[in-house]
Amino acid sequence: MPTHVETLENGLKVVLRPIPDTKALSTWVVYRIGSRNEVPGMTGSTHWVEHMLFKGGGKLGKGDIDKIISRLGGKMNAFTDTDYTMYFETIPATAMDTALMIESERMRNAAFDPKEVEAERTVVISEREGAENQPEFAVEEELWGLAFHVHPYHWTPIGYKQDLAALDRDSLYRHYLRYYAPNNASLILVGGFDPAVAMQRIREAFAPLRPESPPDPMRLTEPEQHGERRSDLVRPGPADLLEMGWHIPAAGHEDMPALILLSTILGGWRGLVPFASGDWRPRSNRLYRALVDTKLATDVGVRPEMKIDPGLLIVNVTLAKGVSHQRVEAVLDREIAKLASTVPAKAEIDRARRQFHSWARYERDGVTFQGMSLSVGEGLASWDFGDRLRAKVVKVRPERVREVAKSYLIRDRRSVVRFHAQEATT
Amino acid sequence: MLGNGAVLVSFALPSNPFVAFRGSIPAGMVAEGDAYGVAEFTSRLLLGGTRRLSAAKLADRLEGIGATLEFHNGEELLSFHGRCTRETTRETIRILVDCLSTPAFPLREIDRVRGELWNDFRIEADDTQLRAMRELGRLVFPKDHPYGRDPKGGEEGIRRIRRRDIVAFHEAHVGPEGLILAATGDLDRELVETSIAEPLSRLDTSEDGIPAILPPPPHRPRRVTIPMPHKTQADIAIGAPTVPRRHEDYYALNLANLLFGRIGLYGRLGRNLRDEQGLAYYAFTSLEARTAGGMWSLQAGVNPANLGRAVQSIRAELDRLQSEPFHSDEVGDGKENQVGSLIVSLERNAEVAAELHHMEYYGLGMGFLERYADIVHELREDRIREVAMKYFTASGSSMVVAGPVGRMRLSL
Repeated sequence: MPTHVETLENGLKVVLRPIPDTKALSTWVVYRIGSRNEVPGMTGSTHWVEHMLFKGGGKLGKGDIDKIISRLGGKMNAFTDTDYTMYFETIPATAMDTALMIESERMRNAAFDPKEVEAERTVVISEREGAENQPEFAVEEELWGLAFHVHPYHWTPIGYKQDLAALDRDSLYRHYLRYYAPNNASLILVGGFDPAVAMQRIREAFAPLRPESPPDPMRLTEPEQHGERRSDLVRPGPADLLEMGWHIPAAGHEDMPALILLSTILGGWRGLVPFASGDWRPRSNRLYRALVDTKLATDVGVRPEMKIDPGLLIVNVTLAKGVSHQRVEAVLDREIAKLASTVPAKAEIDRARRQFHSWARYERDGVTFQGMSLSVGEGLASWDFGDRLRAKVVKVRPERVREVAKSYLIRDRRSVVRFHAQEATT
Repeated sequence: MLGNGAVLVSFALPSNPFVAFRGSIPAGMVAEGDAYGVAEFTSRLLLGGTRRLSAAKLADRLEGIGATLEFHNGEELLSFHGRCTRETTRETIRILVDCLSTPAFPLREIDRVRGELWNDFRIEADDTQLRAMRELGRLVFPKDHPYGRDPKGGEEGIRRIRRRDIVAFHEAHVGPEGLILAATGDLDRELVETSIAEPLSRLDTSEDGIPAILPPPPHRPRRVTIPMPHKTQADIAIGAPTVPRRHEDYYALNLANLLFGRIGLYGRLGRNLRDEQGLAYYAFTSLEARTAGGMWSLQAGVNPANLGRAVQSIRAELDRLQSEPFHSDEVGDGKENQVGSLIVSLERNAEVAAELHHMEYYGLGMGFLERYADIVHELREDRIREVAMKYFTASGSSMVVAGPVGRMRLSL
């Protein structure tokens, strides 16, 4: 699709994708800052900063962002990931200037009123406590903690409760000033607009913003794992859970297309971007057949966590009642061994490719999802990350799927979390 | 309308490069009578194989063309939705029609679904938000009305359901009568006729007609706590019956709900609980309006230490609707939001298909979207205040708290 890319003098990268026949506009700003850039004792600060950027500053008073977007009938939100933080608003295209004003104020002029910072402390803790109610969150947090000992992927973006209780306003504000700058961000517009007019407006809104010195490069590298790591969580819960994670290379690595096909063969495909898939649960895959069809599990999912630095390929299973972890692990081991020893049939590879390509279309459903896809791409590498990956997935030879299974799905480099559900007392 | 009674609605959105569809048949919980759980069981089995294809082959066929197809059971409807490309539309709709008309209901799949349902019972029983909302629904729509009961029926009921019950339910209720299918995206008239209407017209008639939906019995407000000591956070659910979708109060109520617990970061309620006091990450309201009734509900997740303060603050906001009704600026903002949101809410294929389906199901007419701005603008301010005072009251609402709270006495 026609996409215009330009970088302002202050370093802000602008990506414009006009869609002439739509009346809506989705404006996204992605900052290259996530929990990956945090240090122990300050975990969760990036996410907390995200919350603070809805509370005004500069031309915007407290509550103004809500009010302005609501009056337009728009939708807005923000997401903090390990590698990036994204903000968006989808509004009628006629209100482009409003979106640009909000985002330019947010970039350098957020207020961080001490009273508001304090009020938000309990909100972010409440967000974490809501997640703690779900056993899946405990398992996920444990898995990343187990798999990464050195790299900040060790913690999740929500951060640890004790850090959220102790963080102070000035630390958060410093974090904001350091990372929220035009040269550490990309602005993405998708929808009904004229690119020349949009570019002019963008220059007016963003060109005056001063850049910061570039963020330091990531110095922490996770050492190679030697030996399987295991953790058993024993807590009240509704069902036993099993999660396994294998180290995989960074999103931009040449093996990623083959790992995507491998993941699809194992557990189906639900798109590169979260949210587009809804409740859709693929069934035409090896693990569904081996675990759900056989009634050993009620749910199974596979996802490659593609990140700037090496991430994980994760399998998660909800065990059927009365089925042991050992039994499910044995089935997983068998399926992984099969992938590592035998080249998948052409029909299976073709099916995986077709799923991947259909999802590429489904993820272009409307301006918001397109904005999200381009932003995730920018957060990881470049706006066209998804398109490049798709072009490479077409070319993956079936043998490569077996080879990457053999290279990465190794017992000594995996981490395993078993959740043993205990009966809750009332 | 097709020859067999099914209704097909379509709208081209060529900039979205695929086809999305959403449809329904009046074969939800209303149709199951006292065979609780059979509608849910049936909906989960529709991808479990047909006379032509086993479950595995069906999945291979569907995912082999990169399409998606889902079935869900609801209070009134068996609904289905999916996505496919222009080139695979015909095959996807053929698979849909096969699933609806010739499901095989193999015993192996029935056993699998039975296990899945039991697991869902366990998972839901451990979820504070789901438990609070499920109990609230039961209180607001008592006596096992379909709007209030668990769609899965009971654990014992699930154990008793046999293949013959599922087959009988399917034969009686799943057919073209009352079927609505809305499709949007990369389509044109020819594609609709050859790839959607033609396969859809092959659906055979079901045995029974469209089931009547009885109005819900009267609600007697109650307070319930569900102790879940192992949880970190407590969920509050408050709610009361409101009106059916076609009721004259609906649009005023919808706007009042927006102002009270949705607009911006959750309206008046969110401003108080989240923004000013930092008590909750989420605190919002919802309005569901169906054929024979509706429910207004409020949900908030709070630390148990803040439970009393949160409930008091909710009470204060409900009372404020009487003492300090929505002022003109608030109403003006709400109206602008509802009119403007039409552009934004219809930017996706899936959302357009859902709206088309909604318009057809509730008989709003295909010109509804053109009329919508006028409907909103014509709402009188005093009417919006009146319905808020009438329906959003502490005394008229039930309240449920689920979480680490003990068997405390609650007052709202």
